Amino acid sequence: MLTYILKRIAQTIFTAFLATASVFVLLRLAPGDPAASYAPPNPTAAQLAAIRRQFGLDQPIPVQFWTFLTRLLHGDVGTSFFFKRPALQVVMERLPYTITLAVAAILVTALVAIPLGVWMARNANTAPELGANVGTIAGQSMPDFWIGFVLLIVFAVNLGWFAPAGFDSMASIVLPTVTIAILQIALISRLVRREMVANLNAPYLTVARSRGVSERRLIWSHAFGNSAIPVVTALGTRFAAMLNGVVIVEVVFKWPGVGELVVNALQQRDFPLIQATVLVTVVLALLVQLAVDLLYPLMDPRVRLGEASA
Amino acid sequence: MTQRQHPSLVPNALQEREVSRRSMLQLASLAGVGVFFAPALAACAGPKGAAATNAGTAGAGGGKLSIVLNRNLVSLDNKLNQYDAAVTVQRAVRQALTEIGDDLKPKLVLAESFEQTKPTQWTVKLRSDIHYSDKSPVTVEDVETALKLYFQVPAGYVASQFPEQPTFAKVDDHTFTLTTKVPVVSLNSLMSNILITPAKANKPEELSTGLGTGPFVIGSADTGTGTYRLTRNENYWGEKAKLDEVNVSYQEEEGARVIAITSGQADVIDTITPESAEALKKNADVDVLETPGTRLIHLFYNFRKPKGSPLADPKVREALTYAIDHDSLIKALMNGQVSSAQGVVPTTLAGFVKTGEYTYDPAKAKQMLADAGVKNLTLKFIWEDSEFAGASRVLEAIAQMLSAVGVKATLKMIPKGGDINSWRRGEAGDWDVLANGYGNQTGLALTNLVGQYGGTAAKEKTRDTYQGYVFPEITALLDQAGAEADEAKRDDFLKQAQDKIWATWPALWAWTPNNVLAKRKRVTALKLRATNSYDLASVSVSG
Repeated sequence: MLTYILKRIAQTIFTAFLATASVFVLLRLAPGDPAASYAPPNPTAAQLAAIRRQFGLDQPIPVQFWTFLTRLLHGDVGTSFFFKRPALQVVMERLPYTITLAVAAILVTALVAIPLGVWMARNANTAPELGANVGTIAGQSMPDFWIGFVLLIVFAVNLGWFAPAGFDSMASIVLPTVTIAILQIALISRLVRREMVANLNAPYLTVARSRGVSERRLIWSHAFGNSAIPVVTALGTRFAAMLNGVVIVEVVFKWPGVGELVVNALQQRDFPLIQATVLVTVVLALLVQLAVDLLYPLMDPRVRLGEASA
Repeated sequence: MTQRQHPSLVPNALQEREVSRRSMLQLASLAGVGVFFAPALAACAGPKGAAATNAGTAGAGGGKLSIVLNRNLVSLDNKLNQYDAAVTVQRAVRQALTEIGDDLKPKLVLAESFEQTKPTQWTVKLRSDIHYSDKSPVTVEDVETALKLYFQVPAGYVASQFPEQPTFAKVDDHTFTLTTKVPVVSLNSLMSNILITPAKANKPEELSTGLGTGPFVIGSADTGTGTYRLTRNENYWGEKAKLDEVNVSYQEEEGARVIAITSGQADVIDTITPESAEALKKNADVDVLETPGTRLIHLFYNFRKPKGSPLADPKVREALTYAIDHDSLIKALMNGQVSSAQGVVPTTLAGFVKTGEYTYDPAKAKQMLADAGVKNLTLKFIWEDSEFAGASRVLEAIAQMLSAVGVKATLKMIPKGGDINSWRRGEAGDWDVLANGYGNQTGLALTNLVGQYGGTAAKEKTRDTYQGYVFPEITALLDQAGAEADEAKRDDFLKQAQDKIWATWPALWAWTPNNVLAKRKRVTALKLRATNSYDLASVSVSG
């Protein structure tokens, strides 16, 4: 197990480096001049050159890359063009907001989607289940920015129950969480339904039922137990994706997270900030994947990490 | 994976281990839910309108104000850049020797006097009653350091407005002189943008915290999220601010800003499109303030065309202006919130001279084009995304108007932060008309005139003129106006220059958008200036 973890950590470091390096090169090859974003209106050639010099953008790309690498070894991803502070520091200040939102959203998703999926599986092909199916399809189809604006207008503007933007109290998390969770619930509940339907029809369950095992235990301990791994994998993948910043939701609700930060960074062509965001989110996503993998043996003792399954 | 066996068939030890792992997962899930949902549920225990959090005390004093800007303030300093709404907040904390008053003329603030004692020298005396919020005195060294540091910032916006860096010389503890190589008659206006900070704390970069002499102090500052809390400076040397606290944040999405003010989370928002302004006017809790602005938006011709090009002929440039139905554009697409230009700079600026008006006469356009021998003319329009509200639809309408007089127009929008500067400089490709806005931070027509029309052959070598506009006789007039201390003579030079500029027909059309700001009715005594800023110290809230 320890060897497996160490191997995964080494892979994480390598993947993070590869991702950051790729972004570094792609940013510099992309059209547009970052200096223009920081220059006064109608800038002169000298002003633009001064800004490029200040940002180190006047150097050839290989030189810039070498400078970037040597600094990266010391944990320095560069100074944000916009904030004039270490880019990594800016990202780490925003990260707790994104993590909080992602955790809240994934918990709501798990709490609602799993029982919903189980219920749908148990009532498969009935009228109520059809209604739930339609609901989940609708949830998958509605764009999250639209959901966000509808919730804003109804609950923040008309009813005044919540602040429409920003983070000024714990209540501020409710609307963004619900906005994210609606799509996730739709996806996860359908996955749970599919897995549960397969397991509920399995012969071993019939045998267990005939031996007098309670229905509740049959469903949750046995059928759901066998369905858990793909569901947990899906939840982990969704959570890792949310850590990249649920960009649209953060923009709509002015949630001060990493997603909103990276949108502004892209508009401003703030290269160090974009690189820092990529580095942090890639590392986090890979760590989440590792954590999910480490859960597998807990869920199924037959699983041995690092070995091919029987 | 093989399916799980019935528990009765599984060895006891394995069963117990399975149960304990599962129970562990269940317990952990429940604990996590509790941790995350308890506070949120408690907070949701009852209706909690955002307006409640902004409630201020009734009456003339006290209360909190919430301002939501359209972009991140980044800092409470302006060494690198400055935009209109930022001026309001920055000046609440830090002040300059002068400020641009409601009439767009310089008004004394930290300076007791600011006089041009010689053609190339100004003598400034500081007020004796001014001090920072910690009661430490403002010294001439602070002013000297501030001026020096503004010029040390690479490509700083404020410094670029000065024709040259003035030389500072201390006379006594309250008096100093500013000397230039050539006369700079607008120095008192230009110095309104040099904010004063204690010399020891000042740096050649934007400061996000620190002391100032203004009516507010920084309670907290988060440059990352662009949120600031200002509290009243109880040690202010002048009349104290009426508000207890000002909360500043930003929201780039205009729709979200509108939602913020209608829901009561924000008290003041800026940079509103005409459509949103019309919708907000119908809101019983919101007032929409409009004032004529100081920003000129124009469809400026490319003056780098070769001699034989149609656009090199001023008659052709003039002819094209008659094809534009400005009134229809203003009514239909701009909601009446802009004014067609009556000269080459906005009417609000000190030194503006009315030189003419844009007229719609398509028959005249066709005739003049025919007389000039122009046939099958195609014009390429370029502009940067979000340069002005409704840019795409305005330009599409203009393209149709031009086609009615036999001129084809192609439109190219350059993404924000992209290659617009390369295009402007003629390095990215050929173009004919640039839709561009030109702002003003000094209140003076001279600033715009020099910036746009004061091109020289030397500047054009590095493509630093304004779209290639170089007319030596006009530049000479502007130089004379900038050096002339006598106001009447200066105004005469400015009039001559503006008349000559108008005669060159530099733009297909130009207009000045109104400054538009929305405030909740509880906000009183907010006077929006032509510079799109207001004095926070005089603002109050009620109810």
